Amino acid sequence: MNRTRPEMLHCLNATGNLAAATSREMSVLERQRAVLKWHQEQLKRRQQRHFDDLNVFSAPLLAQNINGLIDDDGSGLNEILTRPTGMETGRPDFGSKSGVILDLDHSAGHVNASSGYCLNFAISGNINFPPTVVAAATQVNTAVGAEAKVREPTTSERLSVTTGRQSSKKRKAEKSLPSEVDEEEDSIVKKIRGCADEEEPTNSDQHQNSNKNNWNNNSSKNKESNGDKSNREASSCTSKGNSKASAVQKPDYVHVRARRGQATDSHSLAERIRREKISERMKYLQELVPGCNKITGKSGMLDEIINYVQSLQRQVEYLSMKLAALNPSVDVNINDLFAKEVSPACLASYLPTMGVSPEMASQSYLEYNPVETMGQVCVSEGVNLVDASLRRSMSPPVSIPETLLHSSCFNQIHNSLPWELDLQSLFSMEFQQERPINCSLADLCWPY
Amino acid sequence: MRPPISLEKEFLKKWVMGLQKWSSTSKEMSFLERKKAIKLSADVAMASARNGSTLWSRALIAGASKDPDTNAIVKHVVTGSTAFASLPPPIRLGRRRVCSNKALRKARINHFRRPSRKSAASSIVKRLVKKRTQVIKGLVPGGERIDDESCLIKETLDYVISLRAQVHVMQQIANAAELLNTNNN
Repeated sequence: MNRTRPEMLHCLNATGNLAAATSREMSVLERQRAVLKWHQEQLKRRQQRHFDDLNVFSAPLLAQNINGLIDDDGSGLNEILTRPTGMETGRPDFGSKSGVILDLDHSAGHVNASSGYCLNFAISGNINFPPTVVAAATQVNTAVGAEAKVREPTTSERLSVTTGRQSSKKRKAEKSLPSEVDEEEDSIVKKIRGCADEEEPTNSDQHQNSNKNNWNNNSSKNKESNGDKSNREASSCTSKGNSKASAVQKPDYVHVRARRGQATDSHSLAERIRREKISERMKYLQELVPGCNKITGKSGMLDEIINYVQSLQRQVEYLSMKLAALNPSVDVNINDLFAKEVSPACLASYLPTMGVSPEMASQSYLEYNPVETMGQVCVSEGVNLVDASLRRSMSPPVSIPETLLHSSCFNQIHNSLPWELDLQSLFSMEFQQERPINCSLADLCWPY
Repeated sequence: MRPPISLEKEFLKKWVMGLQKWSSTSKEMSFLERKKAIKLSADVAMASARNGSTLWSRALIAGASKDPDTNAIVKHVVTGSTAFASLPPPIRLGRRRVCSNKALRKARINHFRRPSRKSAASSIVKRLVKKRTQVIKGLVPGGERIDDESCLIKETLDYVISLRAQVHVMQQIANAAELLNTNNN
């Protein structure tokens, strides 16, 4: 009954939890009681450590159920965010994280889900997010309240972490993208669009999804029978995935809820998820390929991508031809380059002009250590050569006359970008810390 | 967006490894042979820098190892990396039709079942998209075996990033070599 809701809300609000329940839900919950008891115990163990002030556990059945749900949710959140060892082990972070969840937003008993409390990470995540990104996402999502059951229509997206014990309506297995993708790539290519971006602007509700599929299925079925007025939300896990979540959770399936007013059969839901995934990746590609900001159509984007890939491949061909032409033979190429290295003394004089930070230097040095141990004299020398030529272009304070050198250096500069300068400086610092190498390049190039 | 530095360093390292291997064969190579050697080393280095985590890198290396001439280079470069325990033979790539046959079946069924329901405009768009997808499949190594569109886009994404890094490093080296040559002459 709706009557019960204000009471519950009041109770839960007082305790920092938000819940909404109906009689129907109660019956559903009662059916789930046996299953929830385990969660309750688990929750109690943790709650006692962290939420001494919460009296939720002494609350009536509904509250207990809701606590169970919260626990599940919190544990799910924890799993996603902290990569816990297991569901049943105590997680020290649980308190802080769920505290964030529980204490937030309970204005008028209405779950605030503007930013969406969405565990919106694909479980079997395609791309592994660095922890920083995840942390950022959690911050984004902190403005979320917890709600046991959704009554108001919402379109917030959720990816609920399942216990893996029950089958879900949807099962998606996804490949994982390379985990070696660097931080830079991650920050650019894989934004956490899940919660913030994918949230519908009209989202208002926060649905705290139980990790129990049975409950979901039952309630969803019940709601489905009520038609679209029921609180169904479509969650499409379009975000690129959290390695921690995927590492923890065995199942790679996704809890999906249909959007309000949309078809709820599994096929269309799957279709919608697939489409959203594709569109998200197309957005990434749009950022990657230059000049694609204005193109909106899929075929136009594909066309640009084709052109870009073809041009890159042609560039590789051209550059390899250029290198082959510049040097009489492949090995001689390297050896000659190496034979003429910038002497460390000459470099040292230029280093002060670089303004390279010591951290970068040590970092590059450490990275190149394996190169050294491999006996890759050539590699380091090659690097040094690159460095030498590049640094010449980079150090205007140096008194290099405006000769033809300068013209070619300018080409370098034009090609260079701010971070490239970092790369070059890394090389230079690295070289400085390596063995001294004689080089006549300095003699050739520098007008001493 | 710039290619990450570590990726470029990895690529450079492996590329030089490959080039050294070429030089060890110590035979006189024509211009075109040199160019082919350089390009191959670069490609294999880029693919192995990915450590076998992407489909295109595996396909590229598998393709390169098919040729007996290049196989030695490939092995030399790739043995340094961790993920390639053994190069997967091209046949096994068939197993990578992972991304979904189900979708393909569905697409086929839909196509045969309802060809007339789509409007002309959308069918034209669909055809365009399909055509371009085919082209992309031809461009990205190993793309022909990918059925799922989202997988294809993912692989393309990764391939583009790697290509950019490759081009960037090769540009630097080429410019350095050019400067060296002009100074010598």
